[in-house]
Amino acid sequence: MYIRYIALILIFAYILPLPAQERDSLKTETLSEVVVMGSYANSVKRNSALQVDIVDKNFLQQHFTGNLMQTLEYMPGIHSMDIGSGFSKPMIRGMGFNRISVTENGIKQEGQQWGADHGLEIDAFAVERVTVRKGPSSLLYGSDAMGGVIEISQVPAPSGNQVYGEIAMLGKSVNGTLGASVMAGVRKNSWHTKLRFSEQHFADYRIPADTIVYLTQYLPVHNRKLKNTAGFERDIGLFSEYRKGRYYAHYAVSNAFQKAGFFPGAHGIPEASRLQDDGSSRNIDLPYSSVNHLKITAHQQYAGNKSAVYLDAGFQNNHREEWSLFHTHYGNQPVPVTNPNRELVFSLNTFNSSLRADLIYSPRWKHTFGLDVQYQRNSIGGYSFLLPEYRRFATGALWLGIFRPTGKFSISGGFRYDYGMLDISAFQDVYLEKYLREQNYDSGTVESYRWRSYSVNRHFGDVSGSIGISWIPDKFHQLKVNLGRSFRLPGANELASNGVHHGTFRHEQGNASLVSERGWQLDASYTYEHGNVLFTASPFVSRFDNYIFLKPTGEWSILPHAGQIYRYTGSKAIFTGTEVELRIDFLRNLTYQITGEYVYTHNLDEYTPLSFSPPASLRNSLIWKHGIFQFRAELQSIATQNRVARNEDITHGVNLLHCGATVKILFGNLNADITFSLKNVFNTKYYNHLSFYRKVEIPEPGRNFQFLVKIPFKSRLQ
Amino acid sequence: MKKIIKFSIICLTAIFFLASNSCKEDSDTTKPVINLTEPEDGDILQIGDVNGVHLDMELSDNEALASYKIEIHPNFDNHSHAQARDVSETVDFTFNKEWNDIRGKKNADIHHHEIKIPENATPGHYHLMVYCTDVAGNESHVAVSVELSHEEGEPHND
Repeated sequence: MYIRYIALILIFAYILPLPAQERDSLKTETLSEVVVMGSYANSVKRNSALQVDIVDKNFLQQHFTGNLMQTLEYMPGIHSMDIGSGFSKPMIRGMGFNRISVTENGIKQEGQQWGADHGLEIDAFAVERVTVRKGPSSLLYGSDAMGGVIEISQVPAPSGNQVYGEIAMLGKSVNGTLGASVMAGVRKNSWHTKLRFSEQHFADYRIPADTIVYLTQYLPVHNRKLKNTAGFERDIGLFSEYRKGRYYAHYAVSNAFQKAGFFPGAHGIPEASRLQDDGSSRNIDLPYSSVNHLKITAHQQYAGNKSAVYLDAGFQNNHREEWSLFHTHYGNQPVPVTNPNRELVFSLNTFNSSLRADLIYSPRWKHTFGLDVQYQRNSIGGYSFLLPEYRRFATGALWLGIFRPTGKFSISGGFRYDYGMLDISAFQDVYLEKYLREQNYDSGTVESYRWRSYSVNRHFGDVSGSIGISWIPDKFHQLKVNLGRSFRLPGANELASNGVHHGTFRHEQGNASLVSERGWQLDASYTYEHGNVLFTASPFVSRFDNYIFLKPTGEWSILPHAGQIYRYTGSKAIFTGTEVELRIDFLRNLTYQITGEYVYTHNLDEYTPLSFSPPASLRNSLIWKHGIFQFRAELQSIATQNRVARNEDITHGVNLLHCGATVKILFGNLNADITFSLKNVFNTKYYNHLSFYRKVEIPEPGRNFQFLVKIPFKSRLQ
Repeated sequence: MKKIIKFSIICLTAIFFLASNSCKEDSDTTKPVINLTEPEDGDILQIGDVNGVHLDMELSDNEALASYKIEIHPNFDNHSHAQARDVSETVDFTFNKEWNDIRGKKNADIHHHEIKIPENATPGHYHLMVYCTDVAGNESHVAVSVELSHEEGEPHND
């Protein structure tokens, strides 16, 4: 009996509610490595009123794909929005793009996350621990975190002075990926530093089809490989931390570079003549994109007896270029003298800083005060136009309180006020203007089309907040309920764009008078854990007073290649659904796990579903562990998604079988972990409703396999 | 204690269930259908033909059609759209027109010769695209490749 209470007290000693997880590292130092992981997960989960999932090293290794989001997709409620197999962006409970925040080392990743064909520039090999917070997180993370947060953080430094490291190798048959990553670290007294270099090369993407159908035309896929979809990724990262007494700091510098070809059939209007086999599956020809993401972050903290202060600062530069043989719809546009084939350039600089202070007056009360500041500047180039130049400034102040009258019950809640400023530059297309005049359009029409972006200067003020409870009546049950109010600032594309988006083939028009996206979100989570049975259900319901979506207007655009105009419009909307997970350990070595999820979306003004609603799905898996072996088989069932928005296609359901095995082999004193997985065993042809390729009817990979070898090593230092 | 837990679970389930059922029936998300019979993919369209381009198609929708648009633009270098070239005597042909006379109909047979290609049009490959919307804003489109030429295309049967 006492042991149980002591365990509970220990867990609560972590006093870690919602806030960033760096903070507990101070208190976990004295414990051994194994205990730290277990307690960390438990303490975060139990203290948050929101559904929190901690992804550990074993999960990351079992499901490693070289692409972080495709790994996290194995968790219920998380989806990856893919562009082939190389690039993906996250979606939580049907919310993606700018409605999800991804943070690394405490700083929010800022790339071009609003775009459908842009991935996440993070080295998958370097990810050691992921915390997923589902539900409204604006209170702590500000704008964009309304759908949830994916936090990438470092595992605690190894205990004892040592030199250690890891060599990892990855191979994938779906696109001939060959990847490797080398990490070396040194822990010496107060210092711990690690350096990682990773590289992945991949060839053209294989699909189980000889033709694809697009715009009623059959297009050939030679050798069942998508032409010009090869690419590579090269990442380097340095992480250093220092701990002395009550002071702790960490610094990180990383650079991620990706270059990948675009399938010519999905870039511009598809045409058979451009899809002829080019004789090589590893070349990167025009059109292609390249992205370089540089990130520098610093974290400082000092913990007193009854208070603690944390300061985070970061700088990021995201530089993206798209290259495509010079083309124009307007004959009067000259070929640029320098870089004639550079179509688009975006260079986004972001400065972040955040200050937090914890005050713990009594074991029952804890207060957190915070201040966040962010400044962004986007500049553009290239012979074409997609997104305007803009400056964005956002700042927010927050208070969060936690009241814990007993060890079994806690109430947490808080408020936040944000101020945001967005200054978007106008952009006029002189070639389009001349073309329209030549076509004898009247001056009013020319005026409304020649501005590819309007000059918009807007100020926003938003209040967000949340209140929730966490209740652990006994050691078997746990119940959490949280009500949150969250917001998101409209993006530059939503406020000011006007023209054909080359990735979606739609004439998209911004609306300069849009207000922030806002909603009420109610989440609950119930966990039952008894012996070898674990059951979790996490239902949620959100109602947005203003949800921004692209509304088809029924007005024809006069631009070439464009149908009707789509305008960013605010609407009332509902999201609801649930995730369910059941895990049973039986017969000593076997584990059966079933996870399911369902999301229902509804646009209350249009009476239609919202676009990119994930289909209901179920994963049944059986895991057998024996000594150095681990086998898993999984049946993934995806339901048909026939609840689609206007001009979105229905995607049919599918049953897929996957299996995998992990074995630990000893080479002398080196321990190698080898993971082999076989996906889509029956070579079923199917489509992913959330894939960028869905629109061009490119199916998902057929039967494919991959292997991952990880060899860790370490040597004690005196 | 058990009772409180059960009661909380039932209450929460009820809230989520009610929320998900409070929405009205989904409105129309079915796209209109375009069945373009003339011109066909690969057809030759005659430059300067006084009769105009023979256009024949059937449009249909599950509820009500709204409008259609026909657009023709050059595709000279097989699709990385033509860049500025030496065009002294001929003019790149473009066509962009919408028709609203199908609004409210479920089916429409479209047959007309309103697309006229002038004598000075640049010969070569072009794209002809047909877009159609229904009243709710559902849209479909069809693209065919055509060639503009001074030679006569296939004869019309009407």
